[in-house]
Amino acid sequence: MESLRVLVVDDEVGMRLGVERALRDFAVRVADVNGDVSFQVVHAGSGEEALELVASQRPEILLLDHKLPGLSGLDVLDRLTDRQIERGGDLLTVMITAYATLETAVAATKRGAYDFLAKPFTPEELRGVIRKAARHVVLQRQARRLAEEKRQVRFQFISVVAHELKAPLAAIEGFLRIISEHSAGDDPAVYNHMLERSLVRLEGMRKLIEDLLDLTRIESGRKKREPTDLDLATVARDMAEGFAPRVAESQLQMRIHAIGPLMMKADRGEIEIILNNLLSNAVKYNRPGGSVDVRLERADHGVCITVSDTGIGMTGEEEARLFGEFVRIKNEKTRGIAGSGLGLAIVKKLATLYDGNVAVRSNPGRGSTFTVTLRTADGPGTSSRTPA
Amino acid sequence: MAVVILIDDDVDLIEANRAVLAARGFIVRTALNAVEARQCLAAGVPDLVVLDVMMETPTVGFDLAREIHKAAPKLPILMLTGLREAMDVPFQFGPDETWLPVTQFLEKPFSSSALAEKVANILKGGK
Repeated sequence: MESLRVLVVDDEVGMRLGVERALRDFAVRVADVNGDVSFQVVHAGSGEEALELVASQRPEILLLDHKLPGLSGLDVLDRLTDRQIERGGDLLTVMITAYATLETAVAATKRGAYDFLAKPFTPEELRGVIRKAARHVVLQRQARRLAEEKRQVRFQFISVVAHELKAPLAAIEGFLRIISEHSAGDDPAVYNHMLERSLVRLEGMRKLIEDLLDLTRIESGRKKREPTDLDLATVARDMAEGFAPRVAESQLQMRIHAIGPLMMKADRGEIEIILNNLLSNAVKYNRPGGSVDVRLERADHGVCITVSDTGIGMTGEEEARLFGEFVRIKNEKTRGIAGSGLGLAIVKKLATLYDGNVAVRSNPGRGSTFTVTLRTADGPGTSSRTPA
Repeated sequence: MAVVILIDDDVDLIEANRAVLAARGFIVRTALNAVEARQCLAAGVPDLVVLDVMMETPTVGFDLAREIHKAAPKLPILMLTGLREAMDVPFQFGPDETWLPVTQFLEKPFSSSALAEKVANILKGGK
């Protein structure tokens, strides 16, 4: 159970003990963080003592009497203002005042007081004020924690992206320098190879940037989705045509299996991204003389796209990691194959937008089959209400 | 002719360095990971090892350096690091006999010619 420290500042000892008694077995339930908050009371008899205790005990809530022998409550608030900023403003002040005047209220609010409690007050009134303050403190903390986590995730993501871009950049820069210095001997084949590899790495960088843009567009929800009545079989055939040169180059066969048109309300761009990633993987990770089979069929409440290759396949452990961001299976067989490590993460995100999913079944050395199910363009959790 | 083993997980960086070292008359063997590096070393002790610090995991390079040093204490190791840049460390690492037994570090980014100079210097016994 989380515990908050309450510093009660009053020159009357009876008052301080009363507060302590009222809060002793008191707990506040904060629904959003799913837990109870209890209280620990610390006393101060003067403003001077209060300032010391704020520094040493770091209370979360300050119950501050306005009328004190030396420094007044307002003076204390004044001196706390700077420190408050340093601490990220996580000390909440509740002013206790016997002669609640508008002037004091305004002055205290200007100095950052959160709430007021008029003397004399009942234990219930005190608990009410403390309940409200405690909720505020806990939720504020929670919000700060979430913001920090978000910053960390963002930082990690950017670090990975920077690293993924720096590696090809270093390779290209290295090659270009050698070419310009002519420092690799006199065999022109060596330099030609460097130029070719530089182009391959540049292509990889461009794909990474395109994938990043796709991913951010999907995640931000900023990209306008335009679902139209689409024949997925036609889209797949069009895509396959685009792949023809690469398919021929790798001595593969690409076949589209679909009986008649397969209509679905979908955004053409999104379907193309899904197919493009699956087809390009099936070509990249295949072997010469192999094949790529694309099946499109109606499935319960939607459609099912299956892409099978006869390539290198992967192990169960590799399958499990496959759909994460920047995951690339690195082994002797995948060496030299360029990829951003984002393609399947994007496919998965897009499938989710169609209340669908993506799965893989693979056989090491024999090939992989990716199955994408799409239900409705209306988004996750909507397909049960709108059967296809 | 001096034999150099290049250990790095990027095929193209290896190729760039290999081409320049080969043009300067070195016999170059290459390894893309720790397993290949061990096979390479088992096939014959070279005159120098160039080892990238970051490979499959951030510590593979360090572990491999210790392993190589233990097996061949006199074999010079030139370690390639991007540590200062990657971690914003404001100082340069120095080789340490017990913790990291490498002969010298070369901070990334560097040109293949600079690497070749460094390799030649170490083999001449200089710094």
